[in-house]
Amino acid sequence: MTLGDRLGLILIHPAVTTVPGLLEAKKLELSKKNYVIGDQFLINKLNDNSVTLEKDKYDLIYYLTPEKVEDIKFPVKLIPVIQSALKTNGSFYGLTEAFKVDALVNGFEIVSVEDNDYHWIKKAGSANANVVQLKTKKKLGNEVKSGKLPTFKSKLPTFKKKDAGNNEQVVKLSVEDVEDDLDDDPEVSNELLSKAKFFNSLSLNQDAEIDENNLIKSTDGDGITMITCGKTNTKKRRACKDCTCGMKELEEEEIDNIRTQQDKVVQFTSEELTEIDFTIEGKLVGGCGSCSLGDAFRCSGCPYLGLPAFKPGQPISLSSISDDL
Amino acid sequence: MSSKKIVILYGSETGNACDYAYILSQKLNRLHFKHTICPLGDFIPSDVLECRYMFIICSTSGQGELPVNARKSSSATEQQSLWSFLKQKSLPHDLLNHLKVSFLGLGDSSYPHFNYAVRKLHERFVNQLGAIELFDRLEADEISMAGSNKGTGSGVESVYFEFERRILKLLSEKFPTRLVNGERIKRIAIDDEIYMEPSSYLMLDDELDMETSSTKPVKFKGDSSVKYGEVSKNLRITNNEHFQDVRQFTIKMKDNENYNPGDTIALYPCNTDEDVEKILKVQPEWLKVADKPLKFSNGVQNNLLEGGVIVPLTLRNLLNYQCDIMSVPRVSFFMKVWPFAVDKSRLEKGQDQLDQQREKLHQFAVDEDMQDLFDYCNRPRRSILEVVEDFLSLNLPWKYILDYMPIIKPRLFSISSGDSDPSIDLTIAIVKYKTILRKIRKGVCTNFVANLKIGDELRYKIHRNNLLDKVNCKSPFILISPGVGIAPMMSLIKSNISGNIHLFFGNRFKDSDYLYQETLEEWEKSGKINLYTAFSRDRVNSPDVKYVQDVLWKKGQELTEIIINENANIYLCGSSGKMPIQVRLTIVEMLKKWGSFADDKEAEAYLKKMEADHRYLQETW
Repeated sequence: MTLGDRLGLILIHPAVTTVPGLLEAKKLELSKKNYVIGDQFLINKLNDNSVTLEKDKYDLIYYLTPEKVEDIKFPVKLIPVIQSALKTNGSFYGLTEAFKVDALVNGFEIVSVEDNDYHWIKKAGSANANVVQLKTKKKLGNEVKSGKLPTFKSKLPTFKKKDAGNNEQVVKLSVEDVEDDLDDDPEVSNELLSKAKFFNSLSLNQDAEIDENNLIKSTDGDGITMITCGKTNTKKRRACKDCTCGMKELEEEEIDNIRTQQDKVVQFTSEELTEIDFTIEGKLVGGCGSCSLGDAFRCSGCPYLGLPAFKPGQPISLSSISDDL
Repeated sequence: MSSKKIVILYGSETGNACDYAYILSQKLNRLHFKHTICPLGDFIPSDVLECRYMFIICSTSGQGELPVNARKSSSATEQQSLWSFLKQKSLPHDLLNHLKVSFLGLGDSSYPHFNYAVRKLHERFVNQLGAIELFDRLEADEISMAGSNKGTGSGVESVYFEFERRILKLLSEKFPTRLVNGERIKRIAIDDEIYMEPSSYLMLDDELDMETSSTKPVKFKGDSSVKYGEVSKNLRITNNEHFQDVRQFTIKMKDNENYNPGDTIALYPCNTDEDVEKILKVQPEWLKVADKPLKFSNGVQNNLLEGGVIVPLTLRNLLNYQCDIMSVPRVSFFMKVWPFAVDKSRLEKGQDQLDQQREKLHQFAVDEDMQDLFDYCNRPRRSILEVVEDFLSLNLPWKYILDYMPIIKPRLFSISSGDSDPSIDLTIAIVKYKTILRKIRKGVCTNFVANLKIGDELRYKIHRNNLLDKVNCKSPFILISPGVGIAPMMSLIKSNISGNIHLFFGNRFKDSDYLYQETLEEWEKSGKINLYTAFSRDRVNSPDVKYVQDVLWKKGQELTEIIINENANIYLCGSSGKMPIQVRLTIVEMLKKWGSFADDKEAEAYLKKMEADHRYLQETW
């Protein structure tokens, strides 16, 4: 074993022998990844305690089974045993998301970058986030350390600067940028252990459900946060689907009025239209100059409301907007 | 490195709660708080063990229930949702005491059951299961007559911003620093002018040969529950003169699959080639890469997994099948795209106009008073495509398109065919309406359906609702369904669930939109059903009744007898709004009048009992 080699253990499902070559192939694969397979045991030996594992010994434990991924059975009581045999940050391969809860309550972290690399990692025992080493693929650069991003303009949004050349800026947020220092008290972890069992029996049983109606208490509406400052206005309400109060008629009337107004401006023949340069201020309507800019900038009584923004020197394209109901 | 310690969950009917959730998510990202965001219904129950901070934003469905995406998982598999898990009686009172939680309810006090969903969540999470509430919940009222903004004249958004302020303050105070490369530094928000690169984005795939990628037919990979079918019927079943186009739409399954009455189908619509061409042309950098093979820089994002990812992966295909360019843009869209308003080359007034556009887009993104955005986008139902056409300063990088563009969501339709019929029959009303925008508004999915031809292939998933599991089929059925609400009723009748069916069916005019008239009248003749019709705008053919509830009342005595003496089931289906309320009131009145209850209270209690026993079922949208 040379420096840099890591110690591995293979745990074997008894049926592995029914698939010749499986074990050898796995060993070869692991040795290519610089693992030295120090031990291999049948899982049942571990299960009946005829083999015991040393603490903090392995960098990797691999559970090898010929079962289909979705059919994998595993004695969950061995999960803490495996955890204890691994070094901190050691990996455990071979189980699936189905055992997730047990993994988590036993101090594993689940890593699944890609489907075929799904594994668990033994987390550091201590809850002290300072000692957690963070792998960093991308360095953010100085800005992170100084707490400032150098590409910033001093204040946003600085529209007045004419030639600042509003270039968009993109910051990359890699997974590693975000630390995990919201770690638990050991107390919480112990508690979670006892809660896990409720999540294991995820069987839907309609009869054992509470009645939702009983969740509504007559005192509801109490115990809420009232907002203190509201800067916003109540929006104009929209009529309900089955409006009977007359609001829907008002809305329809408004829509019809605006569409009639549009008819006046779009019902030119295409020939006439080419003669109108909508971009010349004051040519067709008042001098506000915003008509060609699109609805976001038009005045509320603008005859072009509801029509697209006009391109410079081009008439409204009838083909893009005519449509039948 | 777990990201489930902080979780944002939403339950959304119309998309508002979802959008607020994504706004909050952006703000957390800018403060370097890694977190998970998903619909409440998709959160895996056991992940609660990993979670420490949970922020829930939830609206309420018409009947006071949680919105569908809060109740149920969006995958067609029978994954138990967090809510149905937490409703189990046997859970201990301290199950959630490791969890800190905050609630924001979105509601409208002009409807009954104002903010019921968030109250239910609050009661269960906090009072019954021990979750720790970070601060008293917020209940927003659309009309500011109740809840947190009662009497302030402020809209729902100001309640959201209060919620956001409290959360950001709380988290920033609790975690004022963060670790980078093992070094502890001050936590400072990233400026909102800076676009945050998503963890995975698109890039050109040089290894793939372009020829092969563009000739292959499209497929979707990554979601094994997606099925394919072929259109075998697409027939308008309302009179051509009638304003509403309703289709009988039939899909021949490629792989037969079982389903039951009450099940729904999710259809995955796509955008029209014309609209895709328009957006490709209006974005300067897009057309030239439109058909080049692409790949993901770091794997497929979660929000694309449902329904599968398009293959071959090209920008054109993404715009066609996955990016919801015809949806009305939300605040979160503007938050992401406004930094890309940088191109003055196509603006006639140059820098001034660029500044003007950039400022406007920024205002849509950050303004806490959303009135302008509402007037520009929501009211006229303006699409993202139209916004991009209006704002030529936007030079959007295609590589991030899946980050800033919403993803097309499947639409659910009730199945009208009988038990496991390999030809799935649907009854679909085509959505078209006028706003001030010149171009007529069309529903993305129903427009897609309307344009499908016989033999076209489409993507779907069947969602099992197990309706009949809870129902006693030996009892008579009273089916009440105005309009397209008839859809699931057709399935129940065709499946012969009962020999004793009373169908109450309402339409506008007998001669123009009486759906399935021939079939229904034949069934009535042969004794398969008892049919009662109402035509709301047709005085000649429906002189004394307007709505289904009027016919119910007319037959009140008879119906009350079978409800009480024969334990009849009532199933109500159709448009939400006043109809279900009116029907319910009518039934209460019937019970009072003919049910020989001691007093009104008892009659109402009886109806409540019916609901609890799954004898009064309702599906409205």
